Amino acid sequence: MTIMNDEDITQAGEYVLGLLDAGQEAIVAARISTDAAFAAEVEAWRLRLNPLLGPAQTAPANLWPKIEKSLPSPTLQDVGTGNLTIWKSLTALSMTAVVFMGVLLLQKPIAPPPAQSPAPMIAALGSETGRAAITAQYDSADGTMLITPVALDTGALYPELWVVPADGKARSLGMIKGDKPSEMTVSPDMRKFLNEGALLAITPESAQGAAGGVATGPILASGKITIL
Amino acid sequence: MTIEPGTVDLDSARRAKLAEALVKSGRGDRNAFAMVYEATSAKLFGVCLRIFPDRNEAEDVLQDAYLTIWNKAASFESGRASPISWLVAVTRNRAIDRLRAKKKAGTTSIEEAAEIADATPLADAQLIEDADDRTLHDCISSLDTRDAFFIRSAFIGGSTYADLAKHEGQPLGTVKSRIRRALLKLRGCMEGAA
Repeated sequence: MTIMNDEDITQAGEYVLGLLDAGQEAIVAARISTDAAFAAEVEAWRLRLNPLLGPAQTAPANLWPKIEKSLPSPTLQDVGTGNLTIWKSLTALSMTAVVFMGVLLLQKPIAPPPAQSPAPMIAALGSETGRAAITAQYDSADGTMLITPVALDTGALYPELWVVPADGKARSLGMIKGDKPSEMTVSPDMRKFLNEGALLAITPESAQGAAGGVATGPILASGKITIL
Repeated sequence: MTIEPGTVDLDSARRAKLAEALVKSGRGDRNAFAMVYEATSAKLFGVCLRIFPDRNEAEDVLQDAYLTIWNKAASFESGRASPISWLVAVTRNRAIDRLRAKKKAGTTSIEEAAEIADATPLADAQLIEDADDRTLHDCISSLDTRDAFFIRSAFIGGSTYADLAKHEGQPLGTVKSRIRRALLKLRGCMEGAA
């Protein structure tokens, strides 16, 4: 367990208070997911400050039925059944995700591709809330995909990556690492689906991946593929 | 994870049950989510009302917050945060996002948010129910009045460092170091009282 110094302590406090701008906030959010001691300091600040957000007040009785009715089931199967509104909201990349992406590009400059190779494809996967952010870079010449999670939290489960092409059917690309950048080779029969406009999505699944290649978890992050 | 005495108003059994219901919600279990709502809606409605005193608006925010919770429940990690502080953080963030969007659209100003923040010491005094609340209240009261305002204005009014520097007509660096010192003082006061 690392020892928190005054700078760490104030950084955790200013994050909880919401004093930081979007870029700094993204950096601190990434630190929370990788540094347990720092995450504990953030939690301590929340517990200290949360009494400011009280007291409890009984919610109106008619609210729960409204909420229950509006609950989406953002599973990949919804795409096939034409439930497109969820996708619209999920694929609308928030500014935060764009900022995440900016931070990433600053940290890891992408080397310019050789002139002959096809243009690399990228996708910035964000969540509706802007709290999850992953970038994917795909090289169609050799089928390699570089996955860089900036913020991704799957709890006790593991992140599985899916591609959803124009036919709306989700196909698994396999499990990815949620905590550090990793490179994967896309299986040859999946490569034809990786085109501009196809959607990449991440769902939380068991360590072995979703049984039968059908996603079970809600979509944590998604984004469309674009050609650079 | 050890339970610190008095850090949440749920006993450890209720807390474990809530954490379990939240994890199940993350897998799409609607009954579990109904339990989460049952156990937390009053607390979270309080958060919404603190940030949006208008009841209709607070209801909208609460509804929005629970949708976000449903969508994000799979990312809840019980080892990292208590379920209630996670839920409060998600709700506060949704409410603040909305408040900031309104500020941007010019329908509310930092002055209005500051008024809310200024009005809260009185409300704080009225709601002191338990020792935790009292400690926070006493420690914030012991800060410089301006520093106490900054902390409220950020947490409840959604002000960032940049907003506060602009509002005060002071350089960003000055406001930052001032608030950082106040944060350390606040923490020292609360740890001392614990």
